[in-house]
Amino acid sequence: MIKHHPNTELLSGHVNGQLPASLSAAIAMHNELCPQCARTVNNMTEEQAELSFEQSPGEATNDIDFNAIDIEQMIAAITSDESIELLAEDVPMTVTVKGQDYKIPRAIQHMPMGKWNSFGKITRARMDLNEGDIHTSLLQIAPGGSVPEHTHKGFELTLLLQGSFKDEMGTYVAGDFIMLDGEHQHTPETTDGCLCFTVADGAQHFTQGINKLLNPIGSLIY
Amino acid sequence: MQVTEQQRTENPLKTLPIHHKRITNKSMNDEINHKELADWLTAVGQDRDKQAFTNLFKFFSPKILRISSSKFNTQAIANEIVQETMTNVWRKAHLYSADKGAPTTWVYTVMRNVSFDLLRKIQSKKEDTLSDDIWPTLDVADEEETEFADHIENQKVLALLDSLPEKQQQVIKGFYFMEMSQEQLAQHLNLPLGTVKSRLRLALNKLKQHVDLQLGDNHD
Ligand SMILES: [Zn+2]
Repeated sequence: MIKHHPNTELLSGHVNGQLPASLSAAIAMHNELCPQCARTVNNMTEEQAELSFEQSPGEATNDIDFNAIDIEQMIAAITSDESIELLAEDVPMTVTVKGQDYKIPRAIQHMPMGKWNSFGKITRARMDLNEGDIHTSLLQIAPGGSVPEHTHKGFELTLLLQGSFKDEMGTYVAGDFIMLDGEHQHTPETTDGCLCFTVADGAQHFTQGINKLLNPIGSLIY
Repeated sequence: MQVTEQQRTENPLKTLPIHHKRITNKSMNDEINHKELADWLTAVGQDRDKQAFTNLFKFFSPKILRISSSKFNTQAIANEIVQETMTNVWRKAHLYSADKGAPTTWVYTVMRNVSFDLLRKIQSKKEDTLSDDIWPTLDVADEEETEFADHIENQKVLALLDSLPEKQQQVIKGFYFMEMSQEQLAQHLNLPLGTVKSRLRLALNKLKQHVDLQLGDNHD
């Protein structure tokens, strides 16, 4: 059962369309597996729509120059195009990493994805989203593999897409939305292998013994 | 928000001939006619009805302009959101179903997706339209709210009724105390079925929050 969910602030940013694409996609993929959060998002959307369109505009309208828009011209331009937008079909997409097949959820199917690179049992592909310090990846850990203990400067989100893993705090299943801040450190390990979608803000720092030697490749993993 | 002269000159629409036609505030303050909005959307979707689209444009564009102006702080971007949102309303109206959700909710999601893609274009210099994948057009589940509805007693609902806006009180009264179906309520209140469902969802959600609060439940 999914135990880890996005908090209300994230859900509300998602509803308003104000989150980076990486985080909104993660929430969308979580919601596909979590009816509870999906329903919360539906409710918040209804509420936002109501706030946006049902309430009287009040004084604020005076500040906006609606006259600058030529209504007739814009309507004519829009309606001159008779074509309609067909609903994009939901085509299943899979990816094979080290001989394992994984389903790629709809939310990230059109994200530009880089090449898969392996570091021991960890195989990673970067998503090229161009979101500044925010790095987004698909991360596969082969059976028996683990991520060395590390911390982050900013946040680190792991959305488990397939398989399972465990760390100091417990075990996780597909759909778990695990958000850590810079304070926390963890060493995820997996018995049967897993695929994760990860979003991290800032480079990670490995914290322990021999793993310190890995620091130069730290930013290569998450 | 104040729009400066400088921002106005950046406005790409400024070069177009300007018709000084002000949308009056009066019509916007009136009660929203959901039936009318739903009918217009359906007419655009089914018949490519340009008059219906003009009506929708006049209703929604000042509101979209106001919302986007406060979010993005420049009128040029706000204008672009109006244009893109209304273009998508025109091109996607056939995907709207008056039986599933409120017309306002549908237009809100179209506007939100346009803003999201535009924000991404500005911040990440990416022209992709990821919003269609992140928020695919899906059927809204209607089943679950009735399940919750069975869990609160009429007495409790009665006590909380005043906390709801008038429009939501109407559907709750019909649903709980007159035991009307959603279809009967739509008929009785002269509303599209989707709007009744939407209001019921909103109202039940608010009631649920009150009940949870009273029980001291912690949903984390
Ligand atoms: Zn959830």
